[in-house]
Amino acid sequence: MGRIPLAWFNLVNERTRLLVAVAGVAFAVLLIFMNLGFLGALTTTASTIYSQIDAEVFLSSPQSLEISSTRVFPRERLYQAAGVEGVDRVMPFYSEYLLWRNPETGNSRAMFVYGINPRDPVFLMPELQEPTAREILRRPNTVLIDSLSRPEFGPQTTGLETEAGQRQVVIGGQYTLGGGFAADGTLIMGDQNFRRFFAPRPLNQINLGLIKLAPGANPDRVADTLRSQLPQDVQVFTKAEIIANDERFWLQTTSIGFIFGLGVVVSFVVGTVIVYQILYTDIRDHLPEYATLKAMGYRNYYLFQVVLQEALLLAGLGYIPGLLTALLLYDLTVNATAGSLPVSMNWGRMIFVMILTFAMCSLSGLISVRRATSADPADVFS
Amino acid sequence: MENNVGMITPSGGATTLAPAQDQSLQPPNPDLAVQIQHLDYFFGSGDLRKQALFDINLALPRGQIVIMTGPSGSGKTTLVSLIGALRTVRQGSLRVLGQELVGLGERDLVTVRRNIGFIFQGHNLFESLTARQNVEMSVELTGQFNTKRAQAEAMLGKLGLADRVGYKPNALSGGQKQRVAIARALVNHPQLVLADEPTAALDKQSGRDVVTLLQTLAREEGCTVLMVTHDNRILDVADRIINLVDGRLASDTSPDGYLQANAAVTC
Repeated sequence: MGRIPLAWFNLVNERTRLLVAVAGVAFAVLLIFMNLGFLGALTTTASTIYSQIDAEVFLSSPQSLEISSTRVFPRERLYQAAGVEGVDRVMPFYSEYLLWRNPETGNSRAMFVYGINPRDPVFLMPELQEPTAREILRRPNTVLIDSLSRPEFGPQTTGLETEAGQRQVVIGGQYTLGGGFAADGTLIMGDQNFRRFFAPRPLNQINLGLIKLAPGANPDRVADTLRSQLPQDVQVFTKAEIIANDERFWLQTTSIGFIFGLGVVVSFVVGTVIVYQILYTDIRDHLPEYATLKAMGYRNYYLFQVVLQEALLLAGLGYIPGLLTALLLYDLTVNATAGSLPVSMNWGRMIFVMILTFAMCSLSGLISVRRATSADPADVFS
Repeated sequence: MENNVGMITPSGGATTLAPAQDQSLQPPNPDLAVQIQHLDYFFGSGDLRKQALFDINLALPRGQIVIMTGPSGSGKTTLVSLIGALRTVRQGSLRVLGQELVGLGERDLVTVRRNIGFIFQGHNLFESLTARQNVEMSVELTGQFNTKRAQAEAMLGKLGLADRVGYKPNALSGGQKQRVAIARALVNHPQLVLADEPTAALDKQSGRDVVTLLQTLAREEGCTVLMVTHDNRILDVADRIINLVDGRLASDTSPDGYLQANAAVTC
């Protein structure tokens, strides 16, 4: 028979206190999961657009920050790149914000617009693979609308007419992409329409250059060749590099990364304080018993173990409901934002938060254990 | 009663009091469970330093049941906590079960404590553990994990709690709780038991029962008991009664002598 699990018995002896403690830990775990979830969704949305573009190498201006804040550069660079070995096809890519009027409320709101040559197979979304999609993009003043655009933009029915950038516009169809943090809604239009809506902007100034490689060509090698051959007014990225670049922009140079990072830290502190409070009260209430243990001949090390075990048990008991609630709320978030905020769980985050939870509870245990070890057995004689 | 005990002269029936001012130390005597010589003890330091015990000389032979009385603040508790290795001692000589405590560090003191049974005024049982588990906590210190359950149950049985082993303290009466605490103190068969007001929280009958059980078991085990008490209803269990006043030993008598002396003063 082993030792009496005193830590466990002490915890379960007071059901209410245990419940409060577990709820406290679960709450902190949930907060950490939500913050990390939003942070993760952010980085996911940063890569959504690129994962739907059928190209392996990207050209952009060195002054561009990320997909929604790009500077234009000469289209000639793209044609220069077309001559490099391994390049199958080059496609210009235009982007700009456009005020879209909700036909029902009359309110205008900024839409993010992608402009492409209708002949170019730029996007991978199934809706754009249909031959009719190309035909729609060629029609004047006709656009495709993202079905994940916020409901505030109004109805998305095909044939609906409204106003955008002081021109009449007709919805020609829908596709599913999601604009993430950068855009509340997105549109796709043909390059001729793009020129009409954003006149006097010429089409020889492009926002991104998309390079599709021949089968078997190595993207890294082609990118290296392009870097050595193209002038300094363009940057060359592989797909992974441009995704990393956009993620870095959001995480490191906007307040968003800071906000959610701070959220994690605050949740951690809140959790630590809650667990400390519970452990401290527990120790205070049992001080005569702990002092008696010391009088009997138990050493501080044993009390240290008991308190730490209580802390770790709380961590384990609080983590599970915290995780389950987080999964539920992730689901709720995805539904509430119509899929435009793709919060999702992954193993890495589950393990990371689990480690964080145990660290949180151990820290509280270490702070509160000083009270237990200070129990003076001589005080029990009174 | 408390007001009267101070009036007894130290010479009243004294058997083992050493000459007060003789600073020479006797050699260790293996027949003594506790051998105290010229023990001084101070609380605090600097200007706040206050002497609590003055030149205590006391010898408790093995197997004796000793009751210590005295007014509040006379240093009884301090003396018991020193004998119990709960405080560090610096001056004089304090031998407990043959081990000199003066100069020992915290680590060694803990080891000494494991050979002593403690019974407190409050039972100090863990509410979360059953009677048996509370007693097992004591057995675990000896590392006898295989037999701890049997040992705990046997000791609780001796205290008349065989049918209460699975109860938590909340479901036990005050007397039963104190008996569990006694079982916890005696289960490792200590040679010395220190009890601090074990009957203070109990009614007359339970107090009596608890002390009688303690006396019976102590006789059975042959262990020395030093009990601090104000309860003059239980003085008869003692072989010897010592009285501490203002940090000094004031009297050392047999129960009969003590009662007579008190009766004489009271009348």
